[in-house]
Amino acid sequence: MNSILSIQSITKFYGRIRALHEVSFDVPAGSVFGVLGPNGSGKTTLLGILMDVLKASGGSYAWFGQPPSEQQRRQIGTLLETPNFYHYLSGERNLQIAAAIKGRGQEDIPRVLEMVKLTERRHSKFSTYSLGMKQRLAIASCLLGDPSVLVFDEPTNGLDPVGIAETRELIRDMAREGKTILLASHLLDEVEKVCTHVAILQKGVLLTAGDVNEVLMNEDFVELGAPNGDKLREVLSALPGIRQLKQSEQHLQAFFEKDNIDLGGINQYCFEKGVVLTHLQLRKKSLESKFMELTNK
Amino acid sequence: MLNTLRVEWMKVKNYRAFWILLAVTVLSIPGVNFMFYDLFDNSFPKMKGNKMAMNIFGTPFGFPDVWQTTSWNASLVFLVPAILIITLTTNEFTYKTHRQNVIDGWSRSQFFRVKLVEILLLSLFTTLLVVLTALCFGTFGNKVPEGQSIWQGSRFAAFYFVQMISYSMIAFMLALFIKRAGLAMGIFFIYMIVESIIVGYFGNHRKIEAVNYLPEEVTDRLIPQPYLKAIFTQQRVSYWESHIPIYLAVAAVYLLLYYFGASRRFLRTDL
Repeated sequence: MNSILSIQSITKFYGRIRALHEVSFDVPAGSVFGVLGPNGSGKTTLLGILMDVLKASGGSYAWFGQPPSEQQRRQIGTLLETPNFYHYLSGERNLQIAAAIKGRGQEDIPRVLEMVKLTERRHSKFSTYSLGMKQRLAIASCLLGDPSVLVFDEPTNGLDPVGIAETRELIRDMAREGKTILLASHLLDEVEKVCTHVAILQKGVLLTAGDVNEVLMNEDFVELGAPNGDKLREVLSALPGIRQLKQSEQHLQAFFEKDNIDLGGINQYCFEKGVVLTHLQLRKKSLESKFMELTNK
Repeated sequence: MLNTLRVEWMKVKNYRAFWILLAVTVLSIPGVNFMFYDLFDNSFPKMKGNKMAMNIFGTPFGFPDVWQTTSWNASLVFLVPAILIITLTTNEFTYKTHRQNVIDGWSRSQFFRVKLVEILLLSLFTTLLVVLTALCFGTFGNKVPEGQSIWQGSRFAAFYFVQMISYSMIAFMLALFIKRAGLAMGIFFIYMIVESIIVGYFGNHRKIEAVNYLPEEVTDRLIPQPYLKAIFTQQRVSYWESHIPIYLAVAAVYLLLYYFGASRRFLRTDL
């Protein structure tokens, strides 16, 4: 089995409002799969359906190649939307309840509390926690029992920059251990740093999904500058493999058909054609600019 | 189910409000009975030994009538266990822990069933309190009539159990649909009053029998008012006896409706 999660044509209506429209994608085992989209795109709705807190209007999904069941959810550490705990109980007691429901992880409580730096406040009531502490307790709950799959919905909500960096590092550590992570976020910079795969949603419609390198394929470009801009453009137009030329404010941007761009080859080519380059730099198109491009269509 | 109940115990064992409400429940049943006992005893002190007076007022706290008396008195404080059920249920929605329990690894039906078991346990617990209260008052207050068992008349405790399950399920349904403690309690209380008014006007005044089978009234009729029983005609007593199976059957139908209504709500809709 290659896919931890397989989603087939999931549709969700809230009354007459269509929140998801035939969303389908697979999450490979061991991947860090980002589900991206602006507010209201359906990310949380999708994760809610996968966790059986919402009912899909159509479509199906399968965890671990099997029909959905509560036994599967016990194998998955999930943080969905907001941290949901009993306000009158301490952090530790809340984790005890979570571990009891999962059927494992009771002995793990001190470890996960230490990971999220809540050991000192473990006996304090949940109602006395700050937003960041509540979020960290929710992350700790996800980690109980060392699950092989993690589902995070905006895990850095409410965290300070240190907390955000620590969460990002935690996700990377989990990924290195071979865990599969499904991560919903609108913080594209964060997603780009950790994700191996992405799915981009807008207004409930899946715009694209796949390996992050494939989603960003053909999006690297080369910035060039020369004393004679017109001659540079003329020379580059005849370069084999060139897909598109764009003029930015200061430089010419060259887009190629294939990903393997040979800067040395370009430099030599221009020189042989009588153009001496004053500027030559490879630029990677960011996930953010790809996202903006897709969602503004 | 045992594991699920264990988790439910973990939720409440450190919840102060739970213990307070439970303590009030424990105290309210013998408390309300003692109040009536004291009223009865102090209001009619010359009645003791007066055979004619005793014939009129009866011995509501003696066997076998003590079963009916304690059950009826206990039903007056039904609001306390109902508040407990509403509080514990609406807490789950307030904190959204009903979602978290499902996310962590319970099925929706598991969550739903354990709440029903809690209602059953609470109803059994309050019924046990009624039984103990009846035995105490009956044993310490009066001699058991010759030829009678102390358990004669104990069917009223079973009727109380049916009544408590019914009230509890109504409270649970309201909590499930409304999801807010204050509003659910208010509607529960108002409904009880409104139904009483409807029964009073259309039942007693306009003699429309159908109102006797409204949800609260049908279980209330299982335990008639116990005081001044001598003034109840034999015809009235016979009417009540013959209708017990009907009351129980209608109560059972209502319980099924509550069950299916609540389960459909929780199992099939978005949490």
